[in-house]
Amino acid sequence: MRSGSTFIGTDAGTEQLITALRAGGFDVGPPTTVATTVLDTFDGRVHRAGLRLTRRNAVLVLAGREVVTVEVASPAVPRVATDLPPGPFRSRLAEVLDVRALLVLATFTSREHPIVRRNSDGKVVASASLVERVEAPPGPLGEWFVVVDDVTGYDRRSSDLGALVVAAGARPLDDDDGTIADIVLRAAGVDPAGHHDDPSVPLDADEPALDGFRLVLANLAASIVANVAGTIDDIDSEFLHDLRVAVRRSRSVVGHGRHVLPADLGEWGANELKSIGTLTGPPRDLDVYVLEWDDYVGGLGADVVRALQPVRDQLESSRAAAYDDLAGMLRSDAVTRFLRQWQGRLAAPIDPALGGRDAARPLAAVVRRRIDKAQSRLLDHGRAITAATPAEEVHELRKDAKKLRYLLECFGGLLPDDDRTAFVKRLKALQDNLGEHQDAEVHVAELRQAVAELPTGTAPTTFVAVGQLIEQLDARRQAARDEFAERFTAYDSPKTHRALARLLDGMTA
Amino acid sequence: MKVLATYSIKGGVGKTTAAVNLAYEASRTGARVLLWDLDPQGAATFFVRVEPALKGGADRLVSARGALDGHVRATDVPGLDVLPADFSLRHLDLHLDQSSTDRLAVLLDAVAPAYDVALLDCPPGITLTSESVFVAADALLVPTIPSTLSARTLEQLRTFLDGAADPPDVLPFVSMIDRRRTVHRDVAAALATEWPDLLPTQVPSVAAVERMGVARAPLGTYAPSSRGAVAFRNLWADIAAHLWPTA
Repeated sequence: MRSGSTFIGTDAGTEQLITALRAGGFDVGPPTTVATTVLDTFDGRVHRAGLRLTRRNAVLVLAGREVVTVEVASPAVPRVATDLPPGPFRSRLAEVLDVRALLVLATFTSREHPIVRRNSDGKVVASASLVERVEAPPGPLGEWFVVVDDVTGYDRRSSDLGALVVAAGARPLDDDDGTIADIVLRAAGVDPAGHHDDPSVPLDADEPALDGFRLVLANLAASIVANVAGTIDDIDSEFLHDLRVAVRRSRSVVGHGRHVLPADLGEWGANELKSIGTLTGPPRDLDVYVLEWDDYVGGLGADVVRALQPVRDQLESSRAAAYDDLAGMLRSDAVTRFLRQWQGRLAAPIDPALGGRDAARPLAAVVRRRIDKAQSRLLDHGRAITAATPAEEVHELRKDAKKLRYLLECFGGLLPDDDRTAFVKRLKALQDNLGEHQDAEVHVAELRQAVAELPTGTAPTTFVAVGQLIEQLDARRQAARDEFAERFTAYDSPKTHRALARLLDGMTA
Repeated sequence: MKVLATYSIKGGVGKTTAAVNLAYEASRTGARVLLWDLDPQGAATFFVRVEPALKGGADRLVSARGALDGHVRATDVPGLDVLPADFSLRHLDLHLDQSSTDRLAVLLDAVAPAYDVALLDCPPGITLTSESVFVAADALLVPTIPSTLSARTLEQLRTFLDGAADPPDVLPFVSMIDRRRTVHRDVAAALATEWPDLLPTQVPSVAAVERMGVARAPLGTYAPSSRGAVAFRNLWADIAAHLWPTA
């Protein structure tokens, strides 16, 4: 199996090396130009998996502990794993990428001489590439490289080759150097770890609450802005997801900061964020529909799934239209101006005297009170829900749970990690149930809408199939509803109350 | 790791060319492939220019202390390694007789982390070696030439495997077809009716395949656009879709 080692040379020329290799019995071929593209997701999933994905001319190379290559028949750079032919490479990549799409992190060209040595059967027993003239932004690299392949079973010849390369003044790349692609990325100032939306920022328990709320909102504003372009371009569904979550978190923090933020700032932010949030709803719901489709139709027969294809097409078309509306709004002067000004207002400290009545109080005290209130509200509403409660009220409970969760996430800098994780685990179990219920509820409604928009002449079998799918989704909704009481009782328990008490006691205050 | 074997009771049906070319096509789609040449004739080993020799012979390889990794050789195709044949493999049945029928499976398990696909090129016939292959393999790739006799051996294989506890999938495919011949077309059509798992791609009888002995390389490396190379590419796609259906 091919793996190998890379050497780096810093002297000006490679003539001495080429002469030495030829004298040592190695063929050094004429150079060819190789265009390399370094690929990863927006959030660096390939990097986090300990891998590096590059496309060298028409060959994709996934390098990690082992090197695997795949030749891509299409001249295009793959966007998602399913752009590749079925097989283990695609499976491995699909596992790493999940729903995210690949983006180009960097491109560079190089001139590469093949180096080989063959035995009397014409079999390659040593193989390498001399890589020189690496041209990458911001400018050419001065170094040259030799990438030596391990040729299993013929190790001695590879060692001979490595020794000649070292004798010519090169040294092996170490872990700090990484690969040639890593060196190019560093030179271009690209962080292969990618972008991460972490709602938690370092906070000081004793600082004025206004400062803490401002820092949290500034961090969330950065997350919103970071995901706008990817949402507009519809690169993958995670951009909208992350943008929507950052908007929701922001709205929630603004709401919790009613007595902390300056009234004009809070009101302005609440209104503008609400209008952005409202338009993100339909495309996100439709994204979930498309992502969950295979799961939704999993229990139906192949004939039924085939008959549902027009509905799926209709949902895809609605999704595209919803994305167009959203992209138009996100591109608008109004939204661009708001986001710029919102970030600007949050960038610098604000005098607590301009804030609400809690603006100057210690941050930890204000946040503790907000968490207490959010939990009380969640429990009060949850305890009032019975089998006869309308779905809308269950949905309101889901919002209560989210508001509490956002507080814990956004002000996580004040909370002990272990206690927060333990409490969030209990809250999440309840949220999962509420989410399942709500998704099924929304998707039944969307399905009915999609059916109403089907063109005339649609086969009757499609309508019958939709009936079956609605029935299946409704059963899922009902199952979630039936399970609610048990989930809520598990949440509204001494264990949860103790976990929250521990969490609040552990607040840095 | 998926273990596949090109296997047929009948000889001369294109097992070895299929093994080498499918191993090549698998590696082109990014699979890490180990091609294990179990045929003492060593044709697969010859095709990839590796010396047909196992240190210590087949006896040592399948012994309790034997292991595959020390015998593996890289081929000139990235991602494709070969475990070469050795003339001593002609006695493999005798050596396997002294161990259990899962010996090949145990040996393969040890190298599973390093490969996605192990492709075993088997000698013809139903022997102790082939029974060990049936235990180790997830699927048998059965080249079937469009003749009545060849179709009959496929039926014999089915009957034999009916008695096995955990038989591998049987994936036959039409091999060495000459579509100008009516009898070939008729038998191929009958096979498709009789065998629902018959892979859709048919491998033609073409001169480019015969040149493998001269080129000593997989067809795709020296005649990538030839009908034979395209057929093996498509055949691997059929197999991959069967093995990784939801990926």
